[in-house]
Formats: sequence, C-alpha cells, structure tokens
Amino acid sequence: MAKKKFQLSFTPDLVNEPITYRMVKDYDLQINILRAEVNDVGGKMLIEMQGKPDMIKKAVEYLKASRVEVRELKAYVKKDEDRCTHCGMCISICPVDAMCMDPDTKMVSYLPEKCIACGTCIDACPPGAIAFKI
Amino acid sequence: MKRTYEEINRKIEAEDAVVMTAEEVLGLIESKGIEEATKEVDVVTTGTFGAMCSSGAFLNFGHSEPPIKMQHVSLNGVAAYGGLAAVDAYIGATELRNDEDMSYGGAHVIEELVAGKAIHLKANSYCSDCYPRKDIDTYISLKTINQAYLYNPRNIYQNYGLATNSSEKTLYTYMGKLLPHYGNVTYSSAGQLSPLLNDPQLRTIGIGTRIFLGGGVGYVAWEGTQYKTTTATKNGVPVGAARSLALIGDLRGMSPEFVRALNFQKYGLSLGLGIGVPIPILDEDMMRCVSIRDDQIFAPLLDYAVQSRNRKPIKEISYAELRSGCIELHGNQVKTSSLSSYYKARIVAGQLKKWIEKGDFTLTQPVAAMPKERAQKPLEVMSMEDVV
Repeated sequence: MAKKKFQLSFTPDLVNEPITYRMVKDYDLQINILRAEVNDVGGKMLIEMQGKPDMIKKAVEYLKASRVEVRELKAYVKKDEDRCTHCGMCISICPVDAMCMDPDTKMVSYLPEKCIACGTCIDACPPGAIAFKI
Repeated sequence: MKRTYEEINRKIEAEDAVVMTAEEVLGLIESKGIEEATKEVDVVTTGTFGAMCSSGAFLNFGHSEPPIKMQHVSLNGVAAYGGLAAVDAYIGATELRNDEDMSYGGAHVIEELVAGKAIHLKANSYCSDCYPRKDIDTYISLKTINQAYLYNPRNIYQNYGLATNSSEKTLYTYMGKLLPHYGNVTYSSAGQLSPLLNDPQLRTIGIGTRIFLGGGVGYVAWEGTQYKTTTATKNGVPVGAARSLALIGDLRGMSPEFVRALNFQKYGLSLGLGIGVPIPILDEDMMRCVSIRDDQIFAPLLDYAVQSRNRKPIKEISYAELRSGCIELHGNQVKTSSLSSYYKARIVAGQLKKWIEKGDFTLTQPVAAMPKERAQKPLEVMSMEDVV
C-alpha cells in the first residue's frame, strides 16, 4: 500500500464529474479529502490517495485524461528558517503533530509526511514564518 | 566567599572571568554544590526572547530646509507620536498601519530600521514663525537620522500567567491562538534562563544595569510599568507576573535576529526582543538565586474565556511540565506551546557570555535599586472628587 498527496485543479465544466467516486470504484483507492474549494473559475482539491502503487498511477492517468490538472505534493507548507524564531506556537495548534520541537536543540521542525494542509499554523505563527507552498 | 563588582570587572578586563549561562551553571551546582560553584564562577548570564508589547523607539529626524515642527508623523504609513519638540517622534511597536489589516505596524518599522532598510517618512504641521514648513515627504534610514533608541516602558516580565480557553470558540489573544474546550495551553517565559527569575529580589539589577538588548547594548532605565512585588512566591520566585523593567538602548548595533515584528492573529502586533542580563556572583546567596530550575518555577493557568481582570487560576504548573509538551488538565493531556523562544534565549545568554569572556562587556553596579514594595492598582471609573 502506498500513500500520496495530490493537488487537483479543474475547470468549471468538470465540477459535476464524480472523480472521487471513480477513483474509489475503479482503482480501489482510499481517498481522504484534505481541502476542497470550488468557485466560478473552477475548483481545487487536496486529496490523499491510499492504495496499490500501480492503482495510484492509473488513477492519476485517469485524472489527467479527464483534463484535471494533477500535482503531487510532497510538502504543503514551507517554513522560512530565517523568519522562524523557534518559539513553538505552531506546535499545540497542529492537530496532527506535524510541528515538533527537538528536546535538545529546542528547534521547531516541520514534518511534511504528517501535515494535512489544514493551514491552522499559518495565521498562528507570530513572526509570519509559515506559508502555503501551493 | 564574597566578590565585588570591581574584582569581577578586573577579571573581565584581563579576559580571565569565568562566565556560565544560567542553564550551564545548573550542572556545575549539581556536581560541585553551591559553595564550590560560587568560588569557580564570576558571572552567570541569562537570556530571554519573547513578545514585548510595551516597546517603542524615539527617533530624531534632523531639521529640514525650511524647518518643520512635525505634528502628525507617519513611518511607512504607521502613525508615530509627534507631540514632542520639532523633529522628535516616538514609534510604538503595537501601532497599526491600518485597523482593518493588522499585518503591519510599528514593530515592523522598528525591525526594518534595525535591518538598515529605507523608511518612508511623512509629516505635516501647522505653521509658525519658527517652523514655516507645512509638510514633508521623504525617506529616512538608521544611516540618515540623528538618534534612534528603543525606550520600552515594560519588558522582561519576571514570570507570566499561562493561557487556556474553556469556551466553545477559538480565541485569538496576545497569548496566541487558544483552541476551544481547553484545546491547548500557551506560556511565555524563558523559565530557568529568564533574567528576573535568576535574581528574584533584583539585588544586582537596578537603574543603570548594562544589558544585552536586541543584539546590542542597552541599559535598565527604570522600574517597568505594572511592576509589582506582591505576587505570591514558591521556591523564592514569583508564581505569575511580578516585576518588569523599563529598558533603553541604541537601535544602532541591534540585529533583526533579536528584534522581530510579531503578529498575533486578530489580536495585534508585538515586538519580539532578545534580552540578556548578566548576574554577578557576589556571594553564595547569588549562586543560590541562579540555581533555580524549570521544575521549581510555577505559573498560574488562566482561562482567557473569562474576559475579566479577575481571572482565578485553574492550577499552577511548572515550566518543566510545560516544556514536556503536554500537561495534565481535568484528567486530560493537553498540548502546550511556548510563545517565547527558548532556542533564542539560549543564543542570547550565550552571546552575552562571549562578550564578557572576551572582555568587551563589563558589569555595572546599579545607580539606584528597584522598589522593594510595589502593588499594582486597577483602574476604576471614578468621579473627579473620588480621585483627589
């Protein structure tokens, strides 16, 4: 089983396509929708796919064939290391422990594999060191 | 064993002084005891890096041709106070450029000045025979202006209350984002590294004490506003906010590494400042003071959903427990966040240690001591007759 996160962007005519249903039904994937936004210029969705690696690959091919723009995400947010003061404000508000403090160095680091792109840390960071990567 | 300021300074000038940070000295005390540690160490350095809202800078721009008495002054669109003599102004850290968009203000102007950036100055005035000019629109920087110094009425609180939120909605506070239903706890002190917790009665810290301020050299100017000595103590240190200091120091020589604009979402702005204070080890009592550890320092947990100055503490928690990342509250484990950076506090204490070791920074005996007793008064709405 593999787990990958993607950003999908689609035009307004595709909004009614049941793409997540197809991915579950045809490719046997577990889809976790992390963020979804639809407006008059189309839509954006952050999803996590879990399933067999070849099925994930095929699902991505299906999405591309359906004219959905697909981008794999390896890290959602970026932390500006010059701006970060390593205070730790982001730690307790992160629902999935994607921000952690090293007990020895007292430095805060970001663990992209845990991040679910909720964005809670971005506005909560006093020196403004965290931003969405997308 | 006794030591004077003069003896310590002679050793510093000879680059012979033994200096340790308030964190390093804990190991020495543990292995050798107070008596031996007192003999070995001359100075202990402390440090903190946190949000110091009550901060600001006095600036003197120099006179234009023809001259102007600057009445309304703005710096990068942020209002500075110009109700002083002609070309002096005070820029406060929490002043917003725009009340709707709280993302830029005085703290940013101060950080940018320290970083050597150009700042847009606009001012206007009534005219007088002395000052005929009506307005001015120009750029300034630390290079062009005459004086630029921080004067912060209230910095380095001795200790501070912890924050949590019992309500159903997220609260946006100067203690950071507080999640509903006691979702997190925030705190703001360098604890065992914190300057005023290492000399709790301010025996060696008074008016004129030379300090590390924002990466440069500063001085203790006065007691801080809301300075109080009435806070209950545990292990010799106050449990909660107590003493504070007014600090002064030249912006020139400071570094953006230790002067950082902070934005607390939906609350407002603050200035993140790195401050370090040297503690002379005059005798064993001073060594005992700096032996304070995070597990001996406690702070009261306050519910910020209670929007009143009379919040009753839920419980007292040690900094050792807070720093573990999780505390116990009503039978649940609650995650904690620090607002002051222990990482940077260490750098401050380490930097000050280096200055002293290299003979670049000598210690000053206070010109006058801080108040021994001071209570903090609330503000009541009263009549003219009531107040006299």
